[in-house]
Amino acid sequence: MTEKSSPGDTGRASGGSLPATGGSLPATGGAAPKDTRNTGPGRLLIAVYAVFAISATARAGYQIITKFSEAPLAYLLSAFAAVVYLVATVSLAKAGRTWFKVSVAAVLVELLGVLVVGALSVFDSVNFPHETVWSLFGRGYGYIPLLLPILGLIWLYRRRPAPKPAKGS
Amino acid sequence: MDAYFYIVLVVGLVSTVICLTAGLLKKAPNDTTILSVAAVELSLLVYLVGSIIRVAGGETIAGEPWEFWGYLITALILPIGAVYWSILERTRWSNFVLAAVGVTALVMAARMNQIWY
Repeated sequence: MTEKSSPGDTGRASGGSLPATGGSLPATGGAAPKDTRNTGPGRLLIAVYAVFAISATARAGYQIITKFSEAPLAYLLSAFAAVVYLVATVSLAKAGRTWFKVSVAAVLVELLGVLVVGALSVFDSVNFPHETVWSLFGRGYGYIPLLLPILGLIWLYRRRPAPKPAKGS
Repeated sequence: MDAYFYIVLVVGLVSTVICLTAGLLKKAPNDTTILSVAAVELSLLVYLVGSIIRVAGGETIAGEPWEFWGYLITALILPIGAVYWSILERTRWSNFVLAAVGVTALVMAARMNQIWY
């Protein structure tokens, strides 16, 4: 409903292919009305991330409190995974360019983590005998930890912020 | 696996199938899908009450008791959170959020059974 248009807006208006949902939340400051990722499929993504954040946090907390000395590396990895899931959950739910970047970073770290830890747990099972969320590419969790970052990146790409309008000139 | 697990298993699977179907049919969350998630909550409440009675009756949990109760309480919060999250934006996607509750609950119930025995 922004009648006040600046020069150059007309060309950019058709950029977003997704139609604005009727009765959506008032855009923050009117700066970037579509710069959100907490709608549609994003809500499912956030919900699944939230479940993983809770379970990974609980699991890491349990491992560190009860048997940290058994496998410090594996349990620190568990805690790290928990933090990554927490950051991903929160950042996906937030609007704006900065949170988008945080989301991309978190999801990329997650993808890297599940690939590296997954590979290490397969090829070096002597040093990685203890379970983490990412062990064996997340087999203990129905491979969702492997699938989640891929879907996350697709979603982030589809909802990437519009390019910054040229400043000054 | 005890009867409590099988109750959660059946109710959870039925709820997931209902919500998944509604989502695939492009429906927004409605009474049927929300009530199916409420049934999951109810089955978990049965598990809770049953477990309290068993512990009060002198049964001991083989694993860590606080781990068991932690799972149970978290599982009880999930359906409420999912319903809240799904009615904030009533699109078909919210039905997939609701569909996730049933399977999550049954996985958690399986783990709770492992801890108990």
